[in-house]
Amino acid sequence: MDERMRELERKSRAAFDESVEALPAQTRSRLARSRALALGELRERRVNWRSPWLPAGVAAAAALASVLVLTGEERAAQPAGPALAAIEDLDIVTDGEDLGMFDEDADFYAWAVDQAAGGVG
Amino acid sequence: MEEEPACRSATLTPPLPQAGRREGAWEAALDRERALERFLAGVERRAFRIAQMSLRDHAEAEDAVQDAMISLVRNYSGHPEEQWRPLFYRILHNRIIDSQRKRKLRNAVFAWWPAGEDGEAPDPLEDAPDPAGTPDQQLEGQELLARIESVLAGLSSRQREAFLLRNFEGLDVAQTAVAMGCSEGSVKTHYFRAMQALQSVLGDRT
Repeated sequence: MDERMRELERKSRAAFDESVEALPAQTRSRLARSRALALGELRERRVNWRSPWLPAGVAAAAALASVLVLTGEERAAQPAGPALAAIEDLDIVTDGEDLGMFDEDADFYAWAVDQAAGGVG
Repeated sequence: MEEEPACRSATLTPPLPQAGRREGAWEAALDRERALERFLAGVERRAFRIAQMSLRDHAEAEDAVQDAMISLVRNYSGHPEEQWRPLFYRILHNRIIDSQRKRKLRNAVFAWWPAGEDGEAPDPLEDAPDPAGTPDQQLEGQELLARIESVLAGLSSRQREAFLLRNFEGLDVAQTAVAMGCSEGSVKTHYFRAMQALQSVLGDRT
């Protein structure tokens, strides 16, 4: 690289440095905000990690998980009750299917319920 | 009187070793966070100008720098400090290429769209340079930079990046190679060709 190229390097770098110094205040402010945003996640992680409640929180979460697992096992052994039926009903309502058939065949279902209650085939 | 502190400390429960470790780790995390803040504050304006010269768009350059900052903090804050600068520019470089590809695609898709219909009017306040930074004697430098920008716009993206990172950001050949994801030999070639192009266009006008 000859001397003229080195001079071009030097002058262009100086011009670039000047342009960096002359950035509009609004741009500098936005860049500072971006920096704060980027560091915010790290800061939050550190603050949460330092919290004196963290060990207690972890212990409580572990205890809760244990209770849920144990009660879940007990429930699994029991037959499905009204609560399960209610959840199934809720599924029917929330899955967005057309409920028109239930209206159309209401008489049929009423008859079927009566038959089932009477035990007559 | 002199024995009092010893007596007092003897009555205190010694701190749990685990708590001490946690406190030390917390201090280390705080130090790292401060170091990252210093690094980003030192690099953000130059990075913005480099992104702006590559993308030739103010808002896109701001977005690119913000994304690069977030990605560096999220993925590389645990790396040694001396690696941050090349890593940051590697992320920014990739982000710039991504923006350029998207823009190309957008232009190809909307080539038939009447120009200027979706553009917002430029904000004169936003684009106004800092009065403190624009004395008359800097006019020559600004004109030179404007000419350099127009020459750079005609170079290949690799040549442009090599010039921006080597000359403007001051990365050495090895750091530029990390930032550009290529060999040091390629960096030297791209940089020399960029300098040749600038020299041939600008000639003695510098």
